[in-house]
Amino acid sequence: MAGAIIENMSTKKLCIVGGILLVFQVIAFLVGGLIAPSPTTAVSYLANKCVDVEKNHQKTKWYLSWGSNPCEKIRDFDEAVSRQIEANDIVFSIHAPHPHNEMSPWFQFMLYVLHVDIAFKMDNQIKNNAEITFNVSLGYRDDMVSEWQPMAYAEETRKLKCAFNYPKTKENEDSFYDCDVLSFMEIGTVAHKFYLVNIRLPVHEKKGINVGIGDIRDIRLVGIHQNGGFTKVWFAMKTVLTPSIFTIMVWYWRRITMMTRPPVLLEKVIFALGISMTFINIPVEWFSIGFEWTWMLLFGDIRQGIFYAMLLSFWIIFCGEHMMDQNERNRFSSYWKQVGPIAVGAFCLFVFDMCERGVQLKNPFYSIWTTDVGTELAMAFIIVAGICLCLYFLFLCFMVFQVFRNISGKQSSLPAMSKARRLHYEGLIFRFKFLMLITLACAAMTVIFFIVSQVTEGHWKWGGYTVELNSAFFTGIYGMWNLYVFALMFLYAPSHKNYGEDQSIGDLGISSGEELQLTTTITHVDGPTEVYKLARKEAQE
Amino acid sequence: MDYYLLGLILAFLIGDAKILAGYPIWWSLALGQQYTSLGSQPILCGSIPGLVPKQLRFCRNYIEIMPSVAEGVKLGIQECQHQFRGRRWNCTTIEDSLAIFGPVLDKATRESAFVHAIASAGVAFAVTRSCAEGTSTICGCDSHHKGPPGEGWKWGGCSEDADFGVLVSREFADARENRPDARSAMNRHNNEAGRTTILDHMHLKCKCHGLSGSCEVKTCWWAQPDFRAIGDYLKDKYDSASEMVVEKHRESRGWVETLRAKYALFKPPTERDLVYYENSPNFCDPNPETGSFGTRDRTCNVTSHGIDGCDLLCCGRGHNTRTEKRKEKCHCIFHWCCYVSCQECIRIYDVHTCK
Repeated sequence: MAGAIIENMSTKKLCIVGGILLVFQVIAFLVGGLIAPSPTTAVSYLANKCVDVEKNHQKTKWYLSWGSNPCEKIRDFDEAVSRQIEANDIVFSIHAPHPHNEMSPWFQFMLYVLHVDIAFKMDNQIKNNAEITFNVSLGYRDDMVSEWQPMAYAEETRKLKCAFNYPKTKENEDSFYDCDVLSFMEIGTVAHKFYLVNIRLPVHEKKGINVGIGDIRDIRLVGIHQNGGFTKVWFAMKTVLTPSIFTIMVWYWRRITMMTRPPVLLEKVIFALGISMTFINIPVEWFSIGFEWTWMLLFGDIRQGIFYAMLLSFWIIFCGEHMMDQNERNRFSSYWKQVGPIAVGAFCLFVFDMCERGVQLKNPFYSIWTTDVGTELAMAFIIVAGICLCLYFLFLCFMVFQVFRNISGKQSSLPAMSKARRLHYEGLIFRFKFLMLITLACAAMTVIFFIVSQVTEGHWKWGGYTVELNSAFFTGIYGMWNLYVFALMFLYAPSHKNYGEDQSIGDLGISSGEELQLTTTITHVDGPTEVYKLARKEAQE
Repeated sequence: MDYYLLGLILAFLIGDAKILAGYPIWWSLALGQQYTSLGSQPILCGSIPGLVPKQLRFCRNYIEIMPSVAEGVKLGIQECQHQFRGRRWNCTTIEDSLAIFGPVLDKATRESAFVHAIASAGVAFAVTRSCAEGTSTICGCDSHHKGPPGEGWKWGGCSEDADFGVLVSREFADARENRPDARSAMNRHNNEAGRTTILDHMHLKCKCHGLSGSCEVKTCWWAQPDFRAIGDYLKDKYDSASEMVVEKHRESRGWVETLRAKYALFKPPTERDLVYYENSPNFCDPNPETGSFGTRDRTCNVTSHGIDGCDLLCCGRGHNTRTEKRKEKCHCIFHWCCYVSCQECIRIYDVHTCK
């Protein structure tokens, strides 16, 4: 790859391009921070306790505590004891959302976690390794009067992880255990307006089902969904970004095909990066508004995974192609050692995701973490992926180190070289350093914003304005990597002002190169040299 | 004739105000017949005793949360009785009286401070709970957001958590505490302390749900603790309550009484502290004036050196001991709800009661 645009650009123009990109970057942050609401909302639900008065326990009957046909409700279980109602007769009923609201396809997904309130009793404590088993059915309807349509039914078991934070004495009876929240269900689409969850906790003493789970007082669900406003802003952003990245991609490939030589590996990788970015950008989510596509979550994960894998591979290959040693690489196979871990890691995460979100397509209540084998398997996949990532970063750091070592080696011998050769190497050095700087900046931004969004409260009140930090983080970082890919394809596209390699390294190339430079505007004559001076100064430091 | 009627009404109002001054009669909603009929019959706001006009208006506008309000007071009373179970004053309620704690609350004592705080906390707690249950439809953001209904929820969601419950408690429980006297100021402060406790004890829980379940995306919500934690905390505040003195100021609307910390040496009370300005009676002997029932015949703990021990609880009068045979349930098998199968055991207890 010789004579990229970035080498032939004047400092002034480079600054202008940088400035424009920065403006877009700021816009990306502001769109998230000022227009969008927070990315997700959590809604707490407390289950109503309905009594199943029919003795045969029909599965098809739905229990809702209000509305036209309300169930027989009990306030607490003391009431049930006095009325001789058994555990098997109790149905926990949760209606989502709360009255007067309705769900919307813009919510994109629904994720529910379950929390059980268990009171401490001296003679009815939670046993070690207690498991809670529930029969759960999920129904939906689209208006307030029609029948509930069944959507899913499952019998699920979860481990109770509870601790009692007070001394276990008579005085502390009726205090609650501190229990971990349990994963409950995940659905990748919100196609209906109203949902109803009915949970039963059947007791079977002989099989040991739901025995020794303590004195349950309440069941709470917390429903998490993406905010409609955030979805709209996100979609809008994707819709704007897709054509811009696509256009630059087409422009970039046209430039490459216009050249006489076949494209080199680095050019192909940059193009592949553009494709994977476009793949993420294409707003196929628009279809989720009209269609009930539950696989959207999984698909989104896959798209993100492909992009990350591509980005990591690009960094390795970019380093390799700027190595400036005598080895001829330019083949994908010569990077198998470094790209291998990425492939293995990505594959592991893919398998894990298929096991979790893939199975959830069939059974929304499934979670790989609920069984021992599943947990071990999931941990194994994640650990392997983590090791691969570490391995990758070791390789990357080593390669960056090698490049810098070679740069300093070359720098000392630069003055003795012929002009074309010198320009070639200076170009390589500058290209590498520029990308290094930009990449580090982007990575640092991502990490900093990630930490900030984890630590802070999520939004800042600033006078009359509320700045949604988390939304700003998502749109800003998403915009940033888009701009990164955009800048990469623009700046590293082959320049038409060739003076280096293509004319061979011989002395002939100098005159033609100089001619070419003379035909362009004045700024270009001193432009590159200024940039080179800059690069050299940096290198000397 | 007209004047006579007017006079009657005036006399009634003045007399009423004198009796009810400072006493939240509406708490009787949480006891006896009033409470048990809550589930079955609709509430008539007019039949709730002791509501001031603002409370009446509130009740009529938000009739559907009134059961939760009553439940909240009940919750507060139960918690009070738990916290004070071994003490000389054990938060006794009188079933057939409108003044449900008797004359105990007439004085601005620590006990009054605690009861007000726990009741207002209970109301906030129960309303928050009923909002999560979906039984009250007025909770949530749509009722006080502009724009067409449902749009706010669809755009940015609304997870108000405890805020609405606290709002209801403030609007309803504090409605009567608007007089410029010291007692009103004290009740307002203690009610607010109870509500602040609720907000302080909410704990943040989070769930990660990003790429492959990573914390790239994390959603958090505020979870309500169990009410026992609130009770424990307020009991600590009862023990460390700040004594105040009443100060009178002349303001444009007349004399206004405010409270100032009595001991400048101590830290002034924060909004989380309970305040009082009259000393409690010792509750040792029955006294209809102070509302003390005395501790005669109360069961005491002979091994304890604390307030529930026989020495302190019986105020030095000594105690009787008798042996009791009790049939008890033992070797029980419990289900998570409602079912217990037990054997019957006979155990012998020594029961100590105050003389």
